[in-house]
Amino acid sequence: MENIGALSILLAFCLAVYAVIGSVIGKLKKNPFLVVSGERAVYSVWILLSVASGLLIYSLITGDFRLAYVAAHSDQTMPAIYKFTAWWGGQEGSLLLWAWLLATYSAVVVFTNRKKFRDMMPWVTAVLMTTLTFFLILIAFVLSPFGVLEAGRGNIVEGMGRGLNPLLQYWTMVIHPPMLYLGYVGFTVPFAFAMGSLITRQPGEAWIHTTRRWTIVTWLFQSTGILLGQGWAYAVLGWGGYWAWDPVENASLLPWITATAFLHSVMMQEKKGMMKVWNMVLISGTFFLCIFGTFLTRSGVVSSVHAFAQSPIGKYFVYFLAIGIAATLYMILDRMKYLKSEARLESVVSRESSFMFNNLILVASCFAVLWGTLFPVISEAVTGEKISVDAPFFNRINIPIGLGLMLLTGVGPLIAWRRSSVESLKRAFFWPSIAALVLMAALAVFGVYEHPYALVSFGLCMFVTATISSEFWKGSKAISAKSGVGLIPSAIELTHRNTRRYGGYLVHMGIVFMFIGYTGAAFNQDVTKEVAPGGSFQLGHYNLKVTNMQQGENDNYTWQKLSVEASRGSQTIGTLEPAKRFYKSSQQPTSEVAIRRRLNEDLYLNFAGVSNDNQRAVIQAYVFPLVSWVWIGYWVLAIGTLVCLIPSKVRLSYARTQVLGVAEKHAKVTK
Amino acid sequence: MVITIAVALVVGTIVFTLFVRSQDVPEAAPVSPTAHLEERKSQVYENLRDLQFEFRLGKLSDADYQKTKLDLQRELARVLAEIDALKPAAPPAQQPLQQPVQAKAAAQAKAYVPPPASAASANGHTCPHCGSAFPQPMKFCGECGKAMA
Repeated sequence: MENIGALSILLAFCLAVYAVIGSVIGKLKKNPFLVVSGERAVYSVWILLSVASGLLIYSLITGDFRLAYVAAHSDQTMPAIYKFTAWWGGQEGSLLLWAWLLATYSAVVVFTNRKKFRDMMPWVTAVLMTTLTFFLILIAFVLSPFGVLEAGRGNIVEGMGRGLNPLLQYWTMVIHPPMLYLGYVGFTVPFAFAMGSLITRQPGEAWIHTTRRWTIVTWLFQSTGILLGQGWAYAVLGWGGYWAWDPVENASLLPWITATAFLHSVMMQEKKGMMKVWNMVLISGTFFLCIFGTFLTRSGVVSSVHAFAQSPIGKYFVYFLAIGIAATLYMILDRMKYLKSEARLESVVSRESSFMFNNLILVASCFAVLWGTLFPVISEAVTGEKISVDAPFFNRINIPIGLGLMLLTGVGPLIAWRRSSVESLKRAFFWPSIAALVLMAALAVFGVYEHPYALVSFGLCMFVTATISSEFWKGSKAISAKSGVGLIPSAIELTHRNTRRYGGYLVHMGIVFMFIGYTGAAFNQDVTKEVAPGGSFQLGHYNLKVTNMQQGENDNYTWQKLSVEASRGSQTIGTLEPAKRFYKSSQQPTSEVAIRRRLNEDLYLNFAGVSNDNQRAVIQAYVFPLVSWVWIGYWVLAIGTLVCLIPSKVRLSYARTQVLGVAEKHAKVTK
Repeated sequence: MVITIAVALVVGTIVFTLFVRSQDVPEAAPVSPTAHLEERKSQVYENLRDLQFEFRLGKLSDADYQKTKLDLQRELARVLAEIDALKPAAPPAQQPLQQPVQAKAAAQAKAYVPPPASAASANGHTCPHCGSAFPQPMKFCGECGKAMA
């Protein structure tokens, strides 16, 4: 079986190389048979990688411990779902997942565009397959998932494996890596279309229109992956945080930031034909940051809590990045005259300039995160000493940047495209500013002034909420007045008319909720206590009493569990049961935290261990204000993104209404 | 067994990849030389619609609205002129071969002045280009998108 798996990967590599060569030569020699053959090679690669992936999953589930990968990442006692997720639990398997996802995306792209863009598609295929070839080199020649254990090698008991890392045996971890990978891999498609457009000197914005939904979906996958990672860190790692500026976390954030900038700036190109070079740079940067993220995650070049081992694949990534970036830069510089702006900025006070500032701030944030992430490597190269940059650096830089972005999120919708007069601005800004100032004053009275960033953040959240609400309110009222229907149907109609804009506002609302959650971290409380059963302690307004300590075991792990009764004043509000597990195969302990989730705050208990005399439990207790809003924000963001994907009402009908409107207005003005 | 599967996999994928018959080559969808300009035209219409809506919501002063509307109408005229200039069916008298397309379009756009409202009211019911009739006077045809006056 392992031979068929390895053969499939080798054959997939050969066919991916053939797809690149066939597509390019077929295009240059104007041979449609060769072009179609290149496209068919894409389907073949997908079939072969599906076979390889299927065989690896089968080996993991049936426990074929002759395979080194299966022995290292699976064991018989694990639940079937975790045996399946062991596909991406290790280096070789996760690279196979990357390759399979890219092959799937490529097959979908080739199939859905088989009759369109005949000029551009061979180049798109070539770019997709070149990227895939790189990953296939890694899994065919450097780190094969089908390597077989030599006799006597390793410390695997026959019939058993080391098992999946226990920290990864959690429900969000089942979908966190594939979601992130769907995001990472997905950005290859808009990049390939951008390159295809550049190579063939396409006029217009066809590549953007074709990949618009693709980019949005990919961005949603990436956002989901990041949020699932945060949820996992919060619920599994036991320290109560959801973001630690770990290099691997940063690696997922970097392409998300540039993709967010791209999603905004691309509107400038669509609306006004501006920022064409910038958009090329952003989408290329996003793609290379995805590759860079995979490199950081998989090479072990920087230390990370994700604890991926050192591996020999780092240098291959460096070569691929260097060649890819050089080729892309050459292509952009060579085609610069086809990327000239068709319009210029007409006024500094316009929606366009708010988009530009938004882009500048996002890119500044990206550079700051990238610099902090790479600083240990750079410092080691320059001084010989590895200096790590920790969370305070990132917070110091990124909190003001985040607040600046939040301000622009509120300002943007208030300013019209092209130009806005001072009078219009005064009118638009008045009520949102008043709402923000009133909230800030009220919060200051309640003592929040001790946390100036938090005060400003809450004020800005209110400002953005007011602007978005006023957008929906005014728009719905206008439709309601004209059509006579109620406000809610009018709001739905308003959103349906321009799903991208109003869906975008919902996404912004999701970000506001997340900011509320992040701001709550300024008011966290914590305490660590050693408590015997029957003992109690105080945290904030909670009284916590340990009522029981139990232990037991099953096939997979042994466990110890505490029962902690929480009360506020004289009222009991519930029992929390934090636990500790010790996994037998991997010989690793984990914490199972207990969380009482509420909209205003979470009570979070971690059973950290047992005292030296074995009589008392060590409990870390935390109160995390507003943290639930981070997860609520994600759902609002996801709904908003899905709304953006719904097609707006047909453009022609708008055109007719619009032209009619212009004529009527013009007639009134000149009466 | 393993050898049989391996041979089937290799032969199957290679045959599927390499043997392309003439009927397998998809017929390419026709590509209009003006496709990118049609896209641009739709975008200008959408910009006009946005402008109108934002004006109704009070985001723009009357002066800003009029100036931006005029800019967009000029842009629309330029795009329509470029589309006309690229259409192969255009009579030679209207599209002299020696005149570069871009230059002609630019000249038309520069020369474009929105007709007075009275003209639009008087003549704006029937499109002179496609013949579509409208109950109210219109500046641009809602069917073909060309200027009504």
